Amino acid sequence: MPVVALAGVTKAYENKIAVSDLSLSIEAGQMFGLLGPNGAGKTSSIRMMMGITVPDSGSITLFDKPFARNSLEQVGYLPEERGLYKKMKVLDQLIFFGQLHGLAREESQKRAVAWAARMEISDALPKRTEELSKGMQQKIQFIATLLHSPQLIVMDEPFSGLDPVNAVLVERTLLELKDQGKAILFSTHRMDQVEKLCDSICLINNGKAVLAGNLRQIKARYERNHVIVEFEGSSAFLKSEEVAQAKNFSGHAEITLKPNGDAQKLLHEAAAMATIFRFELVEPSLEEIFIQTVGVNADA
Amino acid sequence: MRNILLIARREYLEQIHGRAFMFSTVLVPLLIVALLGWSSMSDRKAVAGKHLAIAADNAEIANRVRYEMLSDKDARFDVELVAPATQQDVAALLKQVHEKSIDGLLSINTSSDGAVTATYTSLSSGGFANIGGLQNALNRGLIDERMIARGIKPVDADELLKRVSVETLQLNQQGVTEQSKGSTPFYKAVLMAFLLSMPIMLYGLDMARAIIEEKNSRIFEVMLSITRADDLLAGKLVGVGAVGLTQIAIWMAAATLFLGSSLAATVLTGNLDIHFSLMEGLFFPVYFVLGFALFSTLFSGLAATCETSQDLQKFMPLAIIPLYLSMGILPVLLKDPNSIWAVAASLFPLTAPYVMLPRMGLEAVPLWQLAASLGLLILAIWATLWVSSRLYRVGILMYGKRATLPELVRWLRYS
Repeated sequence: MPVVALAGVTKAYENKIAVSDLSLSIEAGQMFGLLGPNGAGKTSSIRMMMGITVPDSGSITLFDKPFARNSLEQVGYLPEERGLYKKMKVLDQLIFFGQLHGLAREESQKRAVAWAARMEISDALPKRTEELSKGMQQKIQFIATLLHSPQLIVMDEPFSGLDPVNAVLVERTLLELKDQGKAILFSTHRMDQVEKLCDSICLINNGKAVLAGNLRQIKARYERNHVIVEFEGSSAFLKSEEVAQAKNFSGHAEITLKPNGDAQKLLHEAAAMATIFRFELVEPSLEEIFIQTVGVNADA
Repeated sequence: MRNILLIARREYLEQIHGRAFMFSTVLVPLLIVALLGWSSMSDRKAVAGKHLAIAADNAEIANRVRYEMLSDKDARFDVELVAPATQQDVAALLKQVHEKSIDGLLSINTSSDGAVTATYTSLSSGGFANIGGLQNALNRGLIDERMIARGIKPVDADELLKRVSVETLQLNQQGVTEQSKGSTPFYKAVLMAFLLSMPIMLYGLDMARAIIEEKNSRIFEVMLSITRADDLLAGKLVGVGAVGLTQIAIWMAAATLFLGSSLAATVLTGNLDIHFSLMEGLFFPVYFVLGFALFSTLFSGLAATCETSQDLQKFMPLAIIPLYLSMGILPVLLKDPNSIWAVAASLFPLTAPYVMLPRMGLEAVPLWQLAASLGLLILAIWATLWVSSRLYRVGILMYGKRATLPELVRWLRYS
């Protein structure tokens, strides 16, 4: 049973089609990546899932039922830009969001305190939000999204503003939630995180889904024509006839083979010229798939 | 409904703990008491205990003028007389004015053809507040003197010049006549219009500014994923409106305490003898709530179409013009509270919150007009809510640029 499903959803704003005939579904216990360049239609799609805007056509089901506002009590939403009341104290703010999601005041407070300890921001609870750093505010927004134990968690750029230590903390938390059976959708530009965390993806461009499905299966569709070599000695083998493109980072090279390029032949050539510590034929990274599919850089 | 109350509670608590609320709650009553006190003090200072000198070449005229001046019981002048006065006398008296040993010098000169001229000299142009009373005394003295010169006895002259003052009475709601209070209704009308317009404007515009700030901070994105735009707007209106009502309740409690104090007895005298009836006390919060609802609903919708507070400035005339119109109509209202303009302003929804209550203080407003005023206000609030909620629903999610008029019309159509 899909936790959320979009079927043939279309949304247009005046002269622009933001989302065109988009279909996707997310199951419980699944981590789903919604990818696409800026203006591709990610936020418009998320807004429709959250009932902030209404699709012009198509249907949205939440928890296997047609979209209804009361279903949103089981959904947690973290927008791309922090949406917090600046003058409000952090604890009051968390209690308020918990209550809006249907929790009793006492329960909301109890959970806020527990989550603050888990996310290592207990000291911030009595402070006003405006007094805190961007990263701290992001963690508060993260807690506000999860306080009511939603079954579906929708996060737009959840790692924005976080330092590497806190990014790992958020990653770990999301994986724990996934293990608890929550469905998690996140939209991001960070391909490395999608690759590390997501089971499935949907890549949209100009409002349309251009690539969708299980991440492993998608990657398996692409030819293994990438080679990573760690070596000592001459790098002349990087100019081999088998190589289409190569990046050399003094002793570490990333090579793209020509179509029908022979990896074994390249290994022989390399071994003849240098000492090889590592020679690995790998599948293309998600970023490369993204660029190949969309035709632009992921951060564009 | 639960979410509306939660949002209202949050708005209420945030505003009530804000510095602006504490500042305006304490400062406004203090300012009003200070102004009343200052006005009362300066009134008394202006008319009481003035030490004046009259220098005249004609002793009879000077004596009659002095007599008339001393007859003015309100003024309580202390008048010194130098007549017939030489140029040296006048120069000496002017020196005394300069040295502040007397407050002013009234010089009366009679030319050879009998024409009388008078000048009053003091240290400042405002040194004699009751110049009307001085002119009155001078003219009565001159007429008196001319009548006596024509053979009329002083007693008869006094009798002929005896003044008749018109007592003004007012019929109250029960049809009973009460004594009218001179300039008191003017002060009262201005005070009421001020007390109503200030919180309506303050909280209405504050709410509009908060909407722009929250739109920029993207808080709406989160809120709209939890609750409906209409609930969000309703919660804001209820919360901020409750803050305004709290402030008015505090002011009313403070006013009650003040009226029972000895300070009130000292300050609220003469033209400042301002008191409010039960009806006025009841309708004050009613007109505040309706006025606030109308203006804040209107400005909430408009604020949602703006990107910055500067964008909101262009809509300010919608708030300012009704206020100016209301203040401008006050003199007409005082002259004839039942005139067509006064009635129209107390029925027109944008001016009714500021005009109807001062009008109620001046006359017994017909019940149908009161009902029509409230009915039209409620109708206007409903219509404004219809438009504003549509602008609000779309506007709070539109970022990047200020909406144009054709865009606003489109928003109204498709929301």
